[in-house]
Amino acid sequence: MSYQFKWSVLWSGQSGHWLLQGLITTLELSALAWLLAVVLGILSGALRTVPFKPLRAAAVFYVEFFRNVPLLVWMFFWYFGVPPLLPRGVQDWLFDHGAEFWAGMLALGVYHGARMSEVIRSGILAIPRTQFEASVAMGLSVWQAYRLVIVPIALRLIVPPITNESLNLLKNSSVALTISVAELTFQTRQIETYTARAVEALTAGTLIYLVLCVSIAWVMSSLERRYAIPGLIARVGGPG
Amino acid sequence: MKRGLVVLLALLLMATPLASAFAQSQTLDKIKEAGVLTIGTRTGSPPFAYINKNNEWVGFTIDLVEQLVIPAISKEVGKPIKLTKKESTPPTRIPLLNSNSVDLVAGTMTDTPERRQSVDFSLTFFLTGAQFLVKKGSPIHGINDIAGKRIASQQGSTNAKIIREKVPTAQLREFPDQPAAFQALLQGQVDAYTNDGIQLYGLKAKAPNPADWEVVGDFFSEEPYGMAMRKGEPKFKQVVDAGLKQGFESGKYFEIYDKWFGPKGELPYPMSPQVKAYLLKQIGK
Amino acid sequence: MLDLGVIVHNFKFLIVQGFFGLGSFAGGTLRLAIPAIVLGFALGIVVGLARLANAAWIRVPAVMYVEFFRGVPLVMVIFWFWFIIPQLLGLPLPEYGIALTAFVIFEAAYFGEIVRAGVQSVPRGQVEAARALGLSGAKAMRYVILPQALRNMVPSLVTQMIVLFKDTSLASIIGYVDLTKAAQIVNNREIRPFELYLFIAVVYWICTYSMSRMARRLERRPTTA
Repeated sequence: MSYQFKWSVLWSGQSGHWLLQGLITTLELSALAWLLAVVLGILSGALRTVPFKPLRAAAVFYVEFFRNVPLLVWMFFWYFGVPPLLPRGVQDWLFDHGAEFWAGMLALGVYHGARMSEVIRSGILAIPRTQFEASVAMGLSVWQAYRLVIVPIALRLIVPPITNESLNLLKNSSVALTISVAELTFQTRQIETYTARAVEALTAGTLIYLVLCVSIAWVMSSLERRYAIPGLIARVGGPG
Repeated sequence: MKRGLVVLLALLLMATPLASAFAQSQTLDKIKEAGVLTIGTRTGSPPFAYINKNNEWVGFTIDLVEQLVIPAISKEVGKPIKLTKKESTPPTRIPLLNSNSVDLVAGTMTDTPERRQSVDFSLTFFLTGAQFLVKKGSPIHGINDIAGKRIASQQGSTNAKIIREKVPTAQLREFPDQPAAFQALLQGQVDAYTNDGIQLYGLKAKAPNPADWEVVGDFFSEEPYGMAMRKGEPKFKQVVDAGLKQGFESGKYFEIYDKWFGPKGELPYPMSPQVKAYLLKQIGK
Repeated sequence: MLDLGVIVHNFKFLIVQGFFGLGSFAGGTLRLAIPAIVLGFALGIVVGLARLANAAWIRVPAVMYVEFFRGVPLVMVIFWFWFIIPQLLGLPLPEYGIALTAFVIFEAAYFGEIVRAGVQSVPRGQVEAARALGLSGAKAMRYVILPQALRNMVPSLVTQMIVLFKDTSLASIIGYVDLTKAAQIVNNREIRPFELYLFIAVVYWICTYSMSRMARRLERRPTTA
């Protein structure tokens, strides 16, 4: 029995609907997790440079522990391991409002927050101390120096690696299918379960991810160009 | 532009060689050549196929394959055949079968006319029906009580499909396998878990506190279990059926049944005379 | 409250079977990770160099390869291989082979980029000097550029190896009994997710943290200019 291609399954019946729902869920999951990751990343990245040891230690522990454990393990941990520990009221609310989505979002956001933290920290460290000293010499307070000079420069240095990390986050959202989040990859499996058309379903999912990643990369590099500070040529960051 | 080209070329490259490469494979020949029968089976469906306390992969259906089907295949191909087990779950078992990842699905799969459109089934080796597992004292007593409630099921199972059709107002949550669905029930994420009665009994028996759970409801569907194989392989089906038939006739099947479901078995579940008659009727007895 | 007994009772299964891969199930995190890293890197060198080739018929497929695999999730790639390879070959394949193939091919795209960046970071002067000394393109690459490139790449390489090591947990999705799957199997029976998943988190952490410490030590070694 040679494989009969039947591309029509993708838009007939439920498949198109499922794909769209999956895409929306992937975007929602990724967007929320991204926000969480950026907040955690900035917080912990900044905390690691302040001269107060317990805060530094806490930030270091967060980063070193959470990013060195596979995301899949975190998915199971947040979805299966954490809810039983929460108060009953919270549990009930969660279970009525898509517990698996929130667990997936937390797992994704906390994990990538630890990774973003490293990127942001490298950005902050890459700015020569002279910038800070010059700002203070010009009369800015420490807080103003950070806000008006250091942070804007750091942000521009780290946009390329952050883009990379953000794309990783988007791709990693697929791991949430293991805890039944109905994101895009889950839906391609769903289509395949109900229509037995593996190649068509997988192709559709793959194409959508490709288009997503390529467009985001394109948008980000346009932004990079638009906000670039002429003369700021040092670049920071690397893969992973 | 360059990236758009990448996407387009990638798509073409994926599709083209695949179209020509999917050829018919003769299951028995392949099994004979490799000396191995690969089955897709469950890891969390006691006592049919599960991983026990000693972390061994055992079960009623696995025994049926090892003691009835494998000898029949060995006899047919003229050499000893080994068994390899792979995990399959309701959403993955037919895809795995059709992609040649496994030769036979032997777990807890229900034989239905709709499924017969994509796979062939062996003789029925067990008969049960769909019910619900709930916390003791739950207001749910059967399919009539589930409207609006949160019901767990396995993605791709007959139970999920029936609930979807019969009680659309029930909040159906589909899980990739039984343990995930059961944990959802344990944690109170859902009000009931639907699956075939015998599997619910098996789950209840192995639960941390069996007395907390009860199996409720009349069978809201009939679930005959069969072993699934690829369509268009009459010889292979004949051999598998011959193995099962031999088991029914010689009594070996009932020995294995007794081992798992007898009074001293993992899950005592006496076979009713009607079920026995049904099974034997398949082979003309 | 916290039942550590479940870990003690199943320690052998989790570690000997799940982590090392010795036992009745086909599995093992290490058994998958080590060959995947070695082969992935080897293929990565080929891909990275191909990416830099002058000949378009080598370079363009390499670019497509890298752009494709960096634009899709690893989970999707694993599913592709899981369903398509057995269908192409017409016979069942062990999960090990499928997972290993998927990982090597996927990660080679990432290793390839690291190799490319490493080679491009070697100062142009080195290339010119090699040519001036009469070395052919291939010899220059082999004796002058690659060794220096490799040294530059070490931190990124180890980072990517750590990523790959963590990614092996995804093989559990297709039933490969690695550390994560072993924990799932035990949890499905004993229902102790907090203890079990925290335990394997610590095991993974021990491995990856050691790898990154090693990377930092390698970074500090003096390099020749």
